[in-house]
Amino acid sequence: MILQAAINWQSFYFLLFAFVACGFALAVVFSNNIVHMAFFLTLSLGAIAGLFFLAGAEFVGAMQFMIYVGGTLVLLIFGVMLTAQSKFVSMKTAAGEWVLGAILGGALFVLLIRAGFAVPEWNTPRSDAASLVAADAQHATAIGGAVTGYRVDRLSEENPVLRNGMSGYLLPFEIVSIHLLVVLIGASYLARTKKRVKVAV
Amino acid sequence: MDYLLSVLLGAAVLLPLCSFFLILLFGPRMGKSGEFAAYLAAGAIVCAGLLSFTSLAFWLGHHWPADSSHHVAHADGDKHGHDSHAAAKHDEHGAAAHAAEVPINYTGNYWVLGKFGKLNVTISYYIDALTLIMFCMVTLIASCIHFYAIGYMHDELHDITDHEVTLRDGSHLHRPGRFPRFFQYLSLFCFSMLGLVLAGNIAMVFVFWELVGACSYFLIGFYVERKSASTAANKAFIVNRVGDFGMIIGLMALWSCLGTFAFGDIDDVPGIFSQVRPASNHHALLVPDGMVQAGARDHTARIIREHVASDAGLDAGKSELSSQTQQFREEGFGYWLLVVAGIGIFCGCVGKSAQFPLHVWLPDAMEGPTPVSALVHSATMVAAGVYLVGRFFPVFAPETLLVIATTGCITLFIAATIAITANDIKRVLAYSTVSQLGYMMLSLGVGGWVAGLMHLITHAFFKSLLFMCSGSVIHAVHTNDMRKMGGLLSKMPVTAITMLIGCLAIAGVGVPFVIGFSGYYSKDAILEQAFSLSLNNSSAYASIFFLAAAGGAAITSFYMFRMWHMTFMGKPRDQHAYDHAHESPPVMYMPLVLLSVFAISVAWDFTLIGYGIVPVAFLLVQGAKRGWFKQSSGGHGDHGHDAHGHDSHDDHGHDKHDSHALTVHHDDHGAACCEPMCMKTIIAMLVASLVVGAALSFVLPTCNLSLRNLLEQARPAGTAADMTGSWVKWTWPNEHTAHLAENHSRIVVPMTLLATLTWIGGISLASCMYWLGYLNPEDVRRQFAWVYRLLINKWWFDELYDWVFVRPTHVIARVVSGFDRNWLDWIIDNVANVTRIFAVLWERIADQTIVDGFVNLLAGWTYSLGLMLREVQTGKLRQYVMFIVIGAIAIFVLVSFFWNPTLAK
Amino acid sequence: MNLITEPISVSHYLAVGALLFVTGVVCMATKRNAIGVLMGVELVLNGANLNFVAFGSELLRATNLGLDGQLMAMFVIVLAAAEAAVALAIALNFYNNHSTIDVDRADDLRG
Repeated sequence: MILQAAINWQSFYFLLFAFVACGFALAVVFSNNIVHMAFFLTLSLGAIAGLFFLAGAEFVGAMQFMIYVGGTLVLLIFGVMLTAQSKFVSMKTAAGEWVLGAILGGALFVLLIRAGFAVPEWNTPRSDAASLVAADAQHATAIGGAVTGYRVDRLSEENPVLRNGMSGYLLPFEIVSIHLLVVLIGASYLARTKKRVKVAV
Repeated sequence: MDYLLSVLLGAAVLLPLCSFFLILLFGPRMGKSGEFAAYLAAGAIVCAGLLSFTSLAFWLGHHWPADSSHHVAHADGDKHGHDSHAAAKHDEHGAAAHAAEVPINYTGNYWVLGKFGKLNVTISYYIDALTLIMFCMVTLIASCIHFYAIGYMHDELHDITDHEVTLRDGSHLHRPGRFPRFFQYLSLFCFSMLGLVLAGNIAMVFVFWELVGACSYFLIGFYVERKSASTAANKAFIVNRVGDFGMIIGLMALWSCLGTFAFGDIDDVPGIFSQVRPASNHHALLVPDGMVQAGARDHTARIIREHVASDAGLDAGKSELSSQTQQFREEGFGYWLLVVAGIGIFCGCVGKSAQFPLHVWLPDAMEGPTPVSALVHSATMVAAGVYLVGRFFPVFAPETLLVIATTGCITLFIAATIAITANDIKRVLAYSTVSQLGYMMLSLGVGGWVAGLMHLITHAFFKSLLFMCSGSVIHAVHTNDMRKMGGLLSKMPVTAITMLIGCLAIAGVGVPFVIGFSGYYSKDAILEQAFSLSLNNSSAYASIFFLAAAGGAAITSFYMFRMWHMTFMGKPRDQHAYDHAHESPPVMYMPLVLLSVFAISVAWDFTLIGYGIVPVAFLLVQGAKRGWFKQSSGGHGDHGHDAHGHDSHDDHGHDKHDSHALTVHHDDHGAACCEPMCMKTIIAMLVASLVVGAALSFVLPTCNLSLRNLLEQARPAGTAADMTGSWVKWTWPNEHTAHLAENHSRIVVPMTLLATLTWIGGISLASCMYWLGYLNPEDVRRQFAWVYRLLINKWWFDELYDWVFVRPTHVIARVVSGFDRNWLDWIIDNVANVTRIFAVLWERIADQTIVDGFVNLLAGWTYSLGLMLREVQTGKLRQYVMFIVIGAIAIFVLVSFFWNPTLAK
Repeated sequence: MNLITEPISVSHYLAVGALLFVTGVVCMATKRNAIGVLMGVELVLNGANLNFVAFGSELLRATNLGLDGQLMAMFVIVLAAAEAAVALAIALNFYNNHSTIDVDRADDLRG
C-alpha cells in the first residue's frame, strides 16, 4: 500500500489492540470449549489493558492486568477446573438461539455505534492530537489526590466548592471496601463445605 | 293521719301481692310439695288483716262514730254527737241542714302514672269509713278462708286422680297436686280486691276490676282439666266482660265531661263527687258543666262559633258559654249523659255482681273449689259490684237508681225461685248469693245506702260461712248432691250448728224490735226503705219493690231451710255416704265457728257482743274437753288458733277466747269424736250468756260503735236529703225519714212485722216439707209441674243465651274460619308456591347462568392470562439476559424518538 | 487507511467498547456453561471500562487528566472482581447440588 501521509502510530497501535481485543472477544463467543474461552478471554483482556495505556490511563491499565487478568480470570479458570465435567465440550447452544442472539446483539451494536458517532464532540479528534503524549503522568498521585478530593486537574475551577473536596471519590471508595468485605463473607459462606453430591457420569 | 292510713292500707294491699310473687316463683319448693305456700299466703293476709284493724283503730281514735241510732228522735238535728271527738269533726244526721256535709275522707295520690292533657292517671287512694269496713271484712273473711283452705285443699299436696275427667282411653286423669298454685291465686285475688277497695279513682277501680275477674277465672278453672270447670271459667270471664263494655262507656262519658277519674279532691282539683254534687248546691245532684255543654252541643257550638267569628275570641266565647250553662241545665240539657254514665258504671256492676241478665255465670262458677266459692263468689268479688254502686252513689241520677232497683228486684226474684228447686248444695247457695246481691242492688236503688251496704257486710259473713259449711259437708260425704245427704246432724254437729246459724242469719231471724241475727237488721232496713219509697210515690210500680223484697225474703228462708233440712235432718238417703261422713278437722271448722260468731253479731252494737262471748267461750271449752280439736286422720296441723288473732271493732271481747284456743292441745288420734252436747248443758250456756251480756251492757256505756254508725260516717255528701227525678217524677226519700219518730209506726212497725212473718212462714213451710214430713215435696212438684220445669231449667236463660249469642257466634266463626282455611290459606299457599318456583327459576337463570357464569368467565380469563404470563418465567438464565437486552434496546429506541442531539451539549 | 493516519477520537474507543459490550452480552445470552456466562459478564464490564476511560481521557478535553475515568474504571474493576467471586461461589454451589454446570438445568424458578 502506498501511504499518503505519515502513519499515526497511536492510531496504528490503537487499531492493533482493538482488533486483538475484539477478535479474541468474538472468539470467546464462538468457542465451545470452556478452556479455549478462558484463554481467549485472557488475551482479550490483555489487549484492553493496552488500550487503556493508549488512552493515557496507565494506572487502570496496570490494574487491569494485575487484578482482572491476574485475579479474576484466574478465579474463572479455577471455576472451570472445579466444575469440570466430561461433557463440557458438548454443551452447544441451539441454532435458533444463535440467530436470536445475533439479531439482538446486532441491533444493540447498531444503536450503540450510532449513539457513539452522533455527537460531534466525540467524533472529531483533537486538533493537537499529535502532541498527545502523557508526559508528566504521575497518575497515581493524582488519583490518590482525587480520591480524597484534591483534584489537580481542576485547579482552575472557579467554584471553590467544586475545587476542594466535593468532587472527591472518598465515599465510593469506602463503600467499595465495605462491599468487598461483605462479598468476602458471603462468598466464603456460600462456598463452605457441604455434603458432596455424587458427580453424575 | 292521712299519711298513716294510706301507708297502713297500702301495705295491707301489697302484702298479698308479695305473697303472690313469692309463691309464684318458689311455690313448689316451699316445704314438702309446697305446703308452706299456704302458710305464707295465710300469714300475708293475716298481717293485712292486722293492718286493717289497726287502721280502723286509728280511725276510731280520731273519728268515733256518732249516734245514728233510730231510737231517739232527731227531727231537727239539734242533737249532736255525744263525744267530743265527733262534735269538732263532723255532723251526723238527717235533717236538711246537715245534708250538706262531705263524709270524712282521706284521698291522695300514691303515684302519678302519667298526665294526658288535663287527665291525670294515677295510683291513688280514697279512705273513708266504708273503705275501712270493707278492708276489715275482706281481710277477716279471707283469713278464715285461707285457714279453711289449708284443710280443704289438703288433697292437692300429693298426686291426684281426678274422677271427673275421663281421658280418651277411658281412664281417669292422674296428675300432680297444685297446692301452691291455689294459694298463689288466692293471694293475687286478695291483692286485687283490696286494691279495688282502696282505689281513689275509677280508672284504678277498673284495672283492679279486671284483675279480680282474672283471678276469678283462674280460681274457677282451678281444676282446669275438667271441661265443666274450664267452660265455667270462660263463661264467668266473658260475661263479666260484657258488663265491662258498659262500664267503659260510662267511664268515657265521665271522663269526657268531667275531665277527671278521681273520686275525691286531690290537690284542690275537684274530683268526680265534687263536680257532680258541688258544695255550692248543698251537695245535691247537679249535672256538671261538662255534661251540660256536651248535651247542648248545638248551642255550645253556636256560641263558640259566633264569638270566634266575631273576633271576640275563644275566651270570650267560653265565658259566655259558662254563663249560659245554668240556663241550659235548667232546660235539662246533658241530664241524659249523667244517666248514661251512671247506667254504664252500673253495667259493670251487673256483670260483676251477677245481676239479671248477666247472672248466668255465678252458678257455674261453683265448679271451683269451695274456698273459692266462699271467698270470691259470695263475699268479696261479687260484692265488689255492690261496693262500687255504693261508692259511686253520689253520681247516680234518680233514673239510674230506678234502673238499679229494677234490676235488683228482678234478679232477686228470679234467683230465689231457681234456688227452690236446686239439688246441688252449692247451687242453692249460688242462687242465694245472686238473690241477695239483687237485694243489695234493690236497696241501693231505692235510696237505702246504709241499708244496702250493711247487707253487703252481713251477707259476706253469713254467706261465706254457709259456703264453708257446705264445703265441710262436701268434704265429708264426697258429693254435692243434697238428695244423697240427710241425717248428718249427729255426725257433723259443729258444721250443722254453724250452718244453722248461717241459715238463721240469712233468713233474718230475730225477735222483732229486740234483737236478731245480723241478717235481721239489714233486711229490716232494706224493707223499711223500700216501703218508704212506695209511701212517698203513689205509683204502683214503686210498691213492687218492697213487695218483691218481702216475697224474696220469704222464699229465701224457705229454700235455705230446705237445704238445711235436706242435709242434716231426717234419715240418711245414701247409707254409704252417711257411713263415711265425719266431722271436718279443726283447721276447717274453727273458721266456721269464728264466722258464725260474726254472722250473729256483726250488726250489733258493741255492747251487745257480750251476749255472744259466753257461748263461744263455752263451746271452745267443751270442745277442748271433748277432743273436738284433735287432728283428723288427714294429719293436718292445727292452725285454728291463728284465725283468732284478729281484732275487730265488734270483737274486742273475743280476746278472751283467744287464750282458750291457744291452750288447746292436739293429740294425733284417729277418728275425731263429735259427740253432741246434751240439752242441759245448752240451756245452762244460754242462761249464762244472757246474764253476762246483760251485765256488760249495763256496765259499759252505749258507745255507738256499730256497723250502722260506721257506715253513716261514710254516707256520701248530699244523700241525706231527698232526691227527685227529672224524667221519672218520683221522690226518693232519704234514709233517715223511715226512722223518724213520726214514721215509726207507719213504716218501721209494719215492716218489722212483715219481715218476721216472712221468716216464720218460710222456715215453717220448709220444716213441714223437708223435716217433719207433713207435706210431700214430690206431690208439690207434681202439682206445679210446669213451674217446676221452669225453675229446674233455671228459667232457660242458659239456653236462651246459647241460642241468641253462642250459636250465631259459632256460625260466624265457622264461616270465617272456613274462609280462612279455604280461601286465605289457598291464597297464601299458592303465593308461597309461586314464590318458590320463581326462586328456583331465578336461581337457575339469573344466579347460575348469569351471575355465576360471568364470574366464572372472569375467573377463566384471569386464569388463562396467568397461564400465559407464566410462560415467560422459564427459569432460564439466558432468556432473562435476552430480555434485558431487548429491554435496553426498547428503551433506547423509545428515547431516540424524543432525543434531541443538541441536548448533549 | 484514514484510521491509521488520522488521529483517534473518542468515538473509536466507543466503537470498540460497544463491540466488546455486545460480544459480552451475546456471550451471556448464548453460553450454556455458567463459567461462560461469567466470562460474558467480564467482557461487558470491560467494554464499559473502556468507555469510562475514553471519556475521562485527554482525547475528550485537553484539561482532562483522565482521573475521573480511571477512578470509575477502578471501581468497576473492584466490583467486577467481587462479583466474579460471588458468582463463582454460586456456580460452584449449583454444580455441587446438581452435578452439572449447565445453566439450562437451573430452571427451578420456572413459574
